[in-house]
Amino acid sequence: MEKYDVVIVGGGIAGLSVARELSKYKVSTLVIEKNEGFGKEMTASNMTLVCQGADSLTFRHGTLHAELNIKSIPLWPKYAEELGIPFKKIGGLGLIRDRIDFFRFMKMYSRAFKSSLKGEESYYIPKGSFEPLQFLDKKTLKDLEPYSNPKIQGALYDPNLAVTDPVKLAVALAENAKANGVEFLLKNEVKKIMREDEYFTIMTNETSVKGSFVVNASGINADRLAEMVKARDFSYIPVKGVLTDFDEDTSEVFKHQAFYLPSLGEPHIKAVVPLIYGGLRVGIHLSFTLRSDKEIPLGAVDHNLGVIKSIAPGYPFEKHIKKTFFGIMPLTNAETGWHDFVVDIPPHVPRWINIVLGPAGVSSSPMLGKKVVELLSTSGLEMEPNPRFSSSAKGGVKG
Amino acid sequence: MSTLSRKVDLNMAIKIINAMIIYANDNELLPGSYAVVDEGGHVVAFERRDEAPAATADIAIDKAWTAATMKASGRILEIISKGQGWRLNVKHKGRLTIIPGAVPIIANARVIGGVGHSGGSAEDDLKIAQAGWTAIFREEGFNAEVEERLSLARKIAKEAIEEVNNRKLKPVTVAVVDEWGHPTLIYRVDGAPFGTLELARDKAWTAAAFKTLSENVSSLYSNMINATNWNERLTPIPGGVPFMYNNKFAGAIGIAGNMPEEDKNLAMDVIKKVGLELLG
Repeated sequence: MEKYDVVIVGGGIAGLSVARELSKYKVSTLVIEKNEGFGKEMTASNMTLVCQGADSLTFRHGTLHAELNIKSIPLWPKYAEELGIPFKKIGGLGLIRDRIDFFRFMKMYSRAFKSSLKGEESYYIPKGSFEPLQFLDKKTLKDLEPYSNPKIQGALYDPNLAVTDPVKLAVALAENAKANGVEFLLKNEVKKIMREDEYFTIMTNETSVKGSFVVNASGINADRLAEMVKARDFSYIPVKGVLTDFDEDTSEVFKHQAFYLPSLGEPHIKAVVPLIYGGLRVGIHLSFTLRSDKEIPLGAVDHNLGVIKSIAPGYPFEKHIKKTFFGIMPLTNAETGWHDFVVDIPPHVPRWINIVLGPAGVSSSPMLGKKVVELLSTSGLEMEPNPRFSSSAKGGVKG
Repeated sequence: MSTLSRKVDLNMAIKIINAMIIYANDNELLPGSYAVVDEGGHVVAFERRDEAPAATADIAIDKAWTAATMKASGRILEIISKGQGWRLNVKHKGRLTIIPGAVPIIANARVIGGVGHSGGSAEDDLKIAQAGWTAIFREEGFNAEVEERLSLARKIAKEAIEEVNNRKLKPVTVAVVDEWGHPTLIYRVDGAPFGTLELARDKAWTAAAFKTLSENVSSLYSNMINATNWNERLTPIPGGVPFMYNNKFAGAIGIAGNMPEEDKNLAMDVIKKVGLELLG
């Protein structure tokens, strides 16, 4: 039976961010993925946004969700360049309908400035990686986005917001990790894990391997995997988010990310994002769901169409629908709405790391790997730098 | 198509409790009391572990009640009441329990019930309660191994529910209390009115408190007890039956939902079927 220092279960953005970071050290690492390729599930079904601006600065302070995202902000441009993935700052517009919206955005605006641009703050963002936000009046907004709804009174403009291609990022991380010595086991689903004193034995549908450390990055099934070794110290609800893509023609209609603030009693998100290869992605119709539920809920497409129509009326979007699809994300603390990431070692299962990301998971990728490396080294894994590490080599992994 | 139930039924409540017990065991947390209530805040299922302090029973039930009737998590209530939530306790006879570990059950964008856990730190109580309500979004079942006393209570409840079906009786609430009258299990069968809840629990309490059939209490102590109205749990009507386990008085069972005599016969037959002895 092959033995590894670290076995990562899951070849999505979480597992691969960790794999790539680990390949900087002399550590034998294996990634097990049940699909034939990488980033096929949560990684492939989200808004493709990289939270580079005010959005991540307004995440609940003191949460890992905020910490990993904010610390990732200055790392992203280099990260994308090394890995050769598209990364484009498109800018975001917080749409203001009325005075109430304006006051809520004022809060966001001032908080963004207070939080992290000062050197003594715990989440410090170096100068140059964050451009100031600005309020746009109705006329400026109209000049910027001629199709925007005339009922919109103005907007809070955040020039920092970016988009990427999360699946391409996943594949690039895998290829770079492979080039630096990480091994991969595709089309292998973990069926059983046994915990011994010094290592875990991981059995898949095809083979068995041993790992001194296990990183549980199995996305929406992280709870089931953790339960195999009694390591579940978190709970989450699977949330189904339905997104609608519009064809390339619509790229001309709207150029920025734009969103309305959520209002009371409205469970869904109202946002549009221009995709990196053209077209618009609109959503998000949300519902708590069973993860086996593969249906698009009634009214979801209408909701998404309604969102884009309320942002840019007067364009026949219904004729430009490309596809409607959904992703299922874990939401922790769902009863309060205070989502947070889980990246920790459960108190009673040493050498096991749980990762639960969910919203803004892709954005946190650069810091996530570093966080896990820190956890591994503090729990006894010897980590010597890998002298042959190349930050942009590609290893040719199928995906 | 997989769907989520629109209301809290007994099966869902039992699943939630099992998920909580498994979570607590896996994380080596203290044993406690576990309560699941419906939209109106009334218990659907309740269980107390053998080593859990007796007083956690009502704390768990009241936490679940608080989450369901306030339609909010105890953690949020704690913050919005700025830690002064206890001052609201002149209302509701002190039931409002604004402490983490009270989690609403949300499904189909509605609050359909509440989960309460008591027995650990506020933080642990919250995590256990979360593990409970999130279990309704899991396809698989949960079967927790439980200790001797609780597993006996589960056997009694299971047998009682089967007998209700066999005898084509109306749905009932089954309550099992320990020798001190503190509840170890309460199951309200789907369709049983919530009024049966306290009735079953109080019948069991009465039987345990006087170590005799609940209806005997009036005659044994003449009408003195009724006249003084000294305890609001006192319910000297048929349906509360004390039982022995390993030749020792071990508690009582209370059933409510049908005519008192039917409830009593059911309770006595169930005790025999499970292999227990009647007291006295």
